Amino acid sequence: MIAAPGRTAWYVYGVVDAFASLPPGRLRLVEEGVLAAVVGAVPLSEFGEEALAERLNDRRWLEAHVREHEDVLQRLAAGSTVVPFRFGAIFRELDDVVAMLHDRCAELTAALARVRGRVEMGVKGWADREQVAASLGDAQPEAAGGRAYLERRLSEQQRAQQVIALLGDIAGDAHARLLRHADEGVANRPQPHELTGRDETMVLNGAYLVGDGAELAAEVAALQADYGSRGVSFETTGPWPPHNFVEPREGA
Amino acid sequence: MTVIEPTPLQEQVTLLELVDRVLNKGVVLTGDIMLSVADVDLVYVGLRVLLSSVATLDRLQAEGAA
Repeated sequence: MIAAPGRTAWYVYGVVDAFASLPPGRLRLVEEGVLAAVVGAVPLSEFGEEALAERLNDRRWLEAHVREHEDVLQRLAAGSTVVPFRFGAIFRELDDVVAMLHDRCAELTAALARVRGRVEMGVKGWADREQVAASLGDAQPEAAGGRAYLERRLSEQQRAQQVIALLGDIAGDAHARLLRHADEGVANRPQPHELTGRDETMVLNGAYLVGDGAELAAEVAALQADYGSRGVSFETTGPWPPHNFVEPREGA
Repeated sequence: MTVIEPTPLQEQVTLLELVDRVLNKGVVLTGDIMLSVADVDLVYVGLRVLLSSVATLDRLQAEGAA
């Protein structure tokens, strides 16, 4: 579509209770029944359909606006229960926002109840693969003679498979233990080396919905004590707005 | 509202971490919207390529400066 200069649209950050109070600033509430959308005006020159597709490839623009989205949600979450929306939900008119709230009232009300009084914590597990391999004990004895190379290769492959199996077991155990201290949890796909830029391999990328994070923090410390010496360490991030716990559940 | 002290890591949240949450998770709107980030996976993949090329560039520059 072609955006006229100076025209604006409405960017929706998330949904709160209708009676929620907003932090001071440029945001406004669009209320419908028991729900309210938190919206801000954005220029179509940046957020129009074609413009947006281009801007998403601009790392600085993307970083600035993704951070702004998260900052707004963090400030809202400090005073209200908030159902975070994904980046980039843009409506032409305020009436369209009202219609969205009306059409999705049941789903959004359920999402608000699900995350009320809770926060999302992230827990990542990082493996130093060499240390993990070393923790498995001595490698196969070096074979001598003409078959040495093949046998060494075979031994290396077996060791690599053992490391992978062990890391899977540790990640599974960690997630199961963390789930016991959370209302809900999800193990997301670990982020790859090229993106994390770290030498260690991410083996757990978990998100947990908790009321009080103290229990979860204690379990993270216990995991660190249990697995740290074997080359797997754990770190906590958050609290986050509950991005991982607001989509309708499978079968719900 | 439960208040949990932010970890030091929170102060320097990476773009990757934000994208993993803000662009990849949360309520997805369909229907009456004029537009949205329609295919988030594609955006994510695009960003992945972009970020990794930036990371490679940073590394090469760091190595060149060393």
